[in-house]
Amino acid sequence: MKIGDKSIDFDKDGFMVNPGLWDEQIARAIAGDEGIEEMTEQHWAIVNFIRNYWLEHDLAPAVRLICSDVGVGVRQIYKLFTSGPARGACRVAGLPKPDGCV
Amino acid sequence: MAERIIYLDNAATSFPKPEIVHETVRDFYSQNGVNPGRTGCDLAINAEQMIHETRKQFSAFFNRSLIESGKEKDPNRLVFTMNATMSLNLIINGMIGPGDHVVTSMLEHNSVIRPVNHKVREGAEATYVVPDAEGYLDPEDIRKAIKRNTRLVIINHASNVTGVVQDLNSIGAICREEGVPFAVDTAQSAGVLPIDMTECHIDFLSFTGHKGLFGPTGTGGICVADDAEIRGTIYGGTGVRSAVPYHLEEYPYRLEAGTQNLAGIAGLNAGLTWVENKGLNTIYAHEMSLFEILQNGLSDIPGVTLWGTQNLDRRVATLSMTVNHYDASDVGTILDVDYGIQTRTGLHCAPLIHQHLGSVPRGTVRFSVGPFNTVEQIRTAIRAVAEIASDRP
Repeated sequence: MKIGDKSIDFDKDGFMVNPGLWDEQIARAIAGDEGIEEMTEQHWAIVNFIRNYWLEHDLAPAVRLICSDVGVGVRQIYKLFTSGPARGACRVAGLPKPDGCV
Repeated sequence: MAERIIYLDNAATSFPKPEIVHETVRDFYSQNGVNPGRTGCDLAINAEQMIHETRKQFSAFFNRSLIESGKEKDPNRLVFTMNATMSLNLIINGMIGPGDHVVTSMLEHNSVIRPVNHKVREGAEATYVVPDAEGYLDPEDIRKAIKRNTRLVIINHASNVTGVVQDLNSIGAICREEGVPFAVDTAQSAGVLPIDMTECHIDFLSFTGHKGLFGPTGTGGICVADDAEIRGTIYGGTGVRSAVPYHLEEYPYRLEAGTQNLAGIAGLNAGLTWVENKGLNTIYAHEMSLFEILQNGLSDIPGVTLWGTQNLDRRVATLSMTVNHYDASDVGTILDVDYGIQTRTGLHCAPLIHQHLGSVPRGTVRFSVGPFNTVEQIRTAIRAVAEIASDRP
């Protein structure tokens, strides 16, 4: 998929194959695919927290940490990202698909 | 942390552990920790003695009728592993080769499914017996699956997804009639339900230490019947007869190599002692009384689906559920973050039973009750699910 001047590949679950290419324009494009018409301040607070955590720790943050650090309830996260923190917010933050037991 | 959570994931691991287990493991290396051996310093002999006593303890625990009849069970055929997965791999690798056939079921954990599938890839055959709609296996379906080249029947005693318990007596009797070795995965039932290898004609009993036996993680084992034969598939140091170029055939070395998890085995000893002192029936009655409240409460919530049997007989205190309009993982996340309730979501490393039930691809929310849960915690869990179900996304 072409976003701006970048060619972005996504895996079958819609996560970036090359997370290093992420930028805010790509975040907005993925958010649009998630049904988010416009990224609000709260959207960005969550996405930036997840992105920065991943850059520092090489894994997605626990949901509880997102809630406490950003100051948002878990159900509010689901309202902002209807696919949820893992499948929705982490996608918009340009993370690779988080490991989780399914 | 432990005080703030409601832990309902005992099928994954039991938590908390009894205080005696904490004390035993915490103090172990300050007083022991020397590599065991029949010769050597006193500390090594003490370590060996601890391991030997634990072998005897577990051998007796899984062979009550034999012991009570005055017969002996060889404790050296109680081998220690690091977990049930390793135990099951040793059993399957030691019994199945190219051209052999294994009978198992759709209820199995990946610790059986994956090694079996690897054996199939290497030229073996496998039959996965289908349970009924509630998850119970018909023992006669196992008989029908047995062929001339069947070398093993391997079944899990209790499902880690729905809690159903299989009829080991009948299945074992069939295996004995048909001359096929019978292996049982007791990961969800050891320390929960009485299991007698002699009565159930079990040749290989795989157990894990860190669930119903309340030991630490990194422990488990196999109890091998005195008349059962299995190839060893792990080779290395045994601490004795080092000049022999091949791994020793006699037990326990046939299925053990290298230094054991000494603190783990000491903790496992303490855990089983706690279970025996408390009484299997007492623990089970407590868990099932809470389970009945949980199941009844959840089944009354509009939008909640319970998967598998709702029988209170022939089961352990584990159930799977989903909430309409929610992905199972989302329910688990909300339960955790908003209510401090720990469950396990997804396919639980048992994809085939989820396929059978129809709960694929996203699986279910699993609740598994333990002896340290309370009525208040169960009622809180029911309220939490009711609130989630009524607050649709």
